[in-house]
Amino acid sequence: MRVASLGPLLGLLALMIVATLLNHDFLTVSNLSNVLTRAAFSGIIAVGMTFVIVSGGIDLSVGSMAALIAGSMILIMNALSTALGPGVLTIVLGMLAALVIGGLAGLFHGAVITRGRIEPFIVTLGTLGIYRAVLTYLAQGGAISLDSAVGDRYGPVYYGSMLGIPIPILVFTAVALLGGLILNRTRYGRYVQAIGSNEQVARFAAINVAGVKTMTYVLLGVCVGLATILYVPRLGSATPSTGLLWELEAIAAVIIGGTALRGGSGRIWGTVVGAVLLVTIENVLNLTNIISVYLNAAVTGFVIIGVAFFQRGRR
Amino acid sequence: MPTDAMTERLSTGSAIRFDGISKSFGDIEVLHDVTFDVQGGSIHALLGENGAGKSTLMKVLGGYHAPTRGRVVLDSTPVIFRSSRDAEAQGIVLIHQEFNLAEDLTVAQNIYLGHELGGALLDDAAMRRGALDVLARLEVRLDPGTRVRDLAVPMKQLVEIARALSRDARVLIMDEPTAALTPHETATLFALMRRLREDGVTILYISHKLDEVKAVTNRVTVLRDGEVVATADTAALSTTQMANLMVGRELEAMFPPRNAPGREELLGVDGLDVPGWSRDVSFTLSRGEILGFAGLVGAGRTESIEGLIGLRPHRVRGVRVRGRAVRLRSPADAARAGVVYLSEDRKGKGLHVNLGLRPNLTLMTLEHYARPLLDTRAEDTALTRAAQTFGIRTGRLDVPASSLSGGNQQKLALAKILEVHPEVVILDEPTRGVDVGAKQEIYALVGDLARQGKGVVVISSELPELLGLCHRLLVMHEGHVVGDLDAAGLTEQDVIQYATGLRGRTNGAGRGEHVPA
Amino acid sequence: MTHLTRLTALSLLLVASPALAQAKQIIGVSIPSADHGWTAGVVYHANQAKAMLEKMYPDVQIIVKTAKDSNEQANQIQDLLTVNKITALVILPQESAPLTRPVAALKAKGVFVTVVDRGLTDPKAQDAYVAGDNTAFGRVAGEYFVKQFGSAGANVVVLRGIPTVIDNLRVDAFKAAVAKAPKVKILDAKFGNWNRDDAFKVMQDYLTRFPKIDAVWASDDDMAVGVLKALEQAKRTDVKLVLGGAGMKEAIKKVMDGDKLMPVDVTYPPSMIADAIRLTVESRVKGTPMKATTLIPSVLVTPANAKNYYFPNSPF
Repeated sequence: MRVASLGPLLGLLALMIVATLLNHDFLTVSNLSNVLTRAAFSGIIAVGMTFVIVSGGIDLSVGSMAALIAGSMILIMNALSTALGPGVLTIVLGMLAALVIGGLAGLFHGAVITRGRIEPFIVTLGTLGIYRAVLTYLAQGGAISLDSAVGDRYGPVYYGSMLGIPIPILVFTAVALLGGLILNRTRYGRYVQAIGSNEQVARFAAINVAGVKTMTYVLLGVCVGLATILYVPRLGSATPSTGLLWELEAIAAVIIGGTALRGGSGRIWGTVVGAVLLVTIENVLNLTNIISVYLNAAVTGFVIIGVAFFQRGRR
Repeated sequence: MPTDAMTERLSTGSAIRFDGISKSFGDIEVLHDVTFDVQGGSIHALLGENGAGKSTLMKVLGGYHAPTRGRVVLDSTPVIFRSSRDAEAQGIVLIHQEFNLAEDLTVAQNIYLGHELGGALLDDAAMRRGALDVLARLEVRLDPGTRVRDLAVPMKQLVEIARALSRDARVLIMDEPTAALTPHETATLFALMRRLREDGVTILYISHKLDEVKAVTNRVTVLRDGEVVATADTAALSTTQMANLMVGRELEAMFPPRNAPGREELLGVDGLDVPGWSRDVSFTLSRGEILGFAGLVGAGRTESIEGLIGLRPHRVRGVRVRGRAVRLRSPADAARAGVVYLSEDRKGKGLHVNLGLRPNLTLMTLEHYARPLLDTRAEDTALTRAAQTFGIRTGRLDVPASSLSGGNQQKLALAKILEVHPEVVILDEPTRGVDVGAKQEIYALVGDLARQGKGVVVISSELPELLGLCHRLLVMHEGHVVGDLDAAGLTEQDVIQYATGLRGRTNGAGRGEHVPA
Repeated sequence: MTHLTRLTALSLLLVASPALAQAKQIIGVSIPSADHGWTAGVVYHANQAKAMLEKMYPDVQIIVKTAKDSNEQANQIQDLLTVNKITALVILPQESAPLTRPVAALKAKGVFVTVVDRGLTDPKAQDAYVAGDNTAFGRVAGEYFVKQFGSAGANVVVLRGIPTVIDNLRVDAFKAAVAKAPKVKILDAKFGNWNRDDAFKVMQDYLTRFPKIDAVWASDDDMAVGVLKALEQAKRTDVKLVLGGAGMKEAIKKVMDGDKLMPVDVTYPPSMIADAIRLTVESRVKGTPMKATTLIPSVLVTPANAKNYYFPNSPF
């Protein structure tokens, strides 16, 4: 493996060294676990996004989709809680609903893109507006809050841990490993790469291009549903600002990780590093006081361009 | 007007001397001490197998690469080009083998790309007139306002040439300009080249078609493995001698001996219509038979086949594979039925050039390697085996397909479609852009397929290839099958008469001229 | 029926009779669309006021329009004039500078203009200005901190909103008020973007960085939600006070219920839009001039007065 392909990892390590020098609390277990837990949301979505981008597509709607799923899931669980009580069954059904809604949204994207032959950028730009508007309507502009009895039972999904590791980190790890396995070691993953590399060649090689592409959006939708399942117990509410700009975070994580925006080749571990890197920048800025708060976005921008610079040789 | 001005300046063709040129990429030296002279105002052929260093040498002359050692001497003055613009300023223009056209711009815009006429505002009218003039010199009737995307491949080639002509070229480098041209277009191009030579333009001509080299060039330089092996007058060499010099050994017969085809019908197509391209195409293919599809560019051969396997909208009365009626709605259906197709557009439709050799080879048969995770070791074994069987020559097997030469890419593409163990193999322009050595190997592979009892369909614009390889020829003209001919004893002239519509008829069955073998 | 609308209804009854004599008044109301809690409250209160006032004054028509950005809002007020022929405009501008000229153009055509909350860059473009008091918002909060911790001292962290004039006014006033108590120390102030998620993250990092925090000025009720969740997760017991702001119904409810961490709140009521519409309608109908500037005070909400600020039907 060439050094250039390690760009994002080296960037992350450099950032971590700087962070530790600036504030020794950075390397504490609790801080690192905060960082990784936060990275879990955008990271899980970014793993799904990697498939979409490698296949040559894009999905701009994931942030809005997450907000809509969060709102719908809360409303469903609140309704179930009056019928079934605030038990495990209510929560499991709510989670199931989140995954199903995500999958259906993805299926819709895939169908419109492949059967309707509309650019994915346009389709998902449209649904970006639609999903958030529906959520805003459901919330009447305010917040949709989870019934507190359900919230108390559901809380551990975000705040709990197993073997000392917070659950969101465990789920993120599992999703990343599974994603890497599917992308690199299964027929489906190979087809995704082949389509992104050259759709025509794939079509001529007897691959069901429409099916494989649609499936990438379904996968992403399910990932968004999964991320939302972890997100909802954190604040127990969904507002019109929920998931704002998550799509950019997810896409940035994928690209920083070394996946080509034009598709064809990608790597899940890079995406994971990218997601963690983005969250770490924010964390470092909060832990220190050397740069004016007005310049936070500029620092993030420089780091992103810097990491891209280190791996430019790969093109 | 550009034309008159150009002719004026063209009268000073330059003599070129390559003086000890060496070129290395990293540790690998691809040109070793190349020295030869090109006389001013002549047509000089550069021959060599793919990878011999022809294109690299021409890129040195065109200013795209700087030589590691040695120098280029132009009219007894050593020149150093830092970029292709420097070279163009000296009147050296390179016509690339791969098209360098901006697909979404018009023909006129492409011809003047980077050299637009006009001041702050572009003078579109002048560029349009200039484009018309230069196209007229090529005897091409084409609206300069056409978008390049809408042109067929041969037209794109002609636009490339027109673009080079519109520069004040004293030295013209042509890299395989006829690969996509019809015989008529080729003849026009040759006439133009001769006219340019009269005007004093020096032309460096790269081609794999040795009979063309024989017909149009004055002198020949043969490169092998980055070294000059011979420079001689064209008249002094036969095409066989040229081929032998290129490969460095005596070439055996170009075509494999013909086997006797069996009687069992493998593929039967009855009444295939591809709207806009072909009507009522019917044919059969027997076990062990090689069937050629002849015709001019645009006769509807490729489109018929693409329709047959479900890549284009089509209607068909019936398709039979080994006697069983089948419906082919997609290439996947076709592959399941045992019919595979290799496109003429290798980089656009045949091979994932950005991907490695392994994923390319196993793409159509991944189910054999999924258990359920892909067994990459088994894939590697398959690749090693395929590289041996098909003679895919490469230093390492873990490189992207783009790093292979054209011939080796084609062999890889062939290996890929044969992985599915098809009954019927359809090859579209299987030797386009492939050097002599690889051509012979591909012919041998096709012969082997027939001997193994497969049915092979070959679509080709090169008549000698069809006549040398096939048992039977189907000739198409304007979307109809006009001849179904036994290849034995057939001449190129016969086929051309059918292909141009002078002979044959377009009856319903499309087999009026069939002479049983 | 809410307390506010009851008040409005009462005041309207008093002026109702002379209004009937007036010619038909068409009032345009242009406000940001409901993209977060506070603006959702604005939309709610604007529509409540419309229903109420149209019932009171049959000759008054009120048209409420929402816009998602300055550009849309500029087009919208133009349409209100040319299509709807409005005689008065009540506008809560998305942004000050880009809307100053469009509003001035309307005023030049004889439309009476009341600007709400966000002042235009040129005050000549408006007839009247109704606004919350951002300085008081910060000052009242700061004074409460001084009262609670002035003698004992405290480590305070601050969450700011989005970099805007409003945020600067609030934070500067807070700092000025707190400066009177030297023992109250502000450790840092970072942007939480008036957003629950961002506030959660910023607070998590404050907790990592500062081993002892006594009080948090979250400066917004939405951000306070994120802060409380971060405290809950870290199981930190050193924080004794979280002060939000604006008057979100859930936050007021906590004050009413005597919450330990959030005993008080500071108002910045979205109902100011209803006040502005009411004042404008009254002035138009009666033909009396309107005060050039009306400041809606920011007040400290305590268990004693909380029920006056509780609107359970509002989304905010």
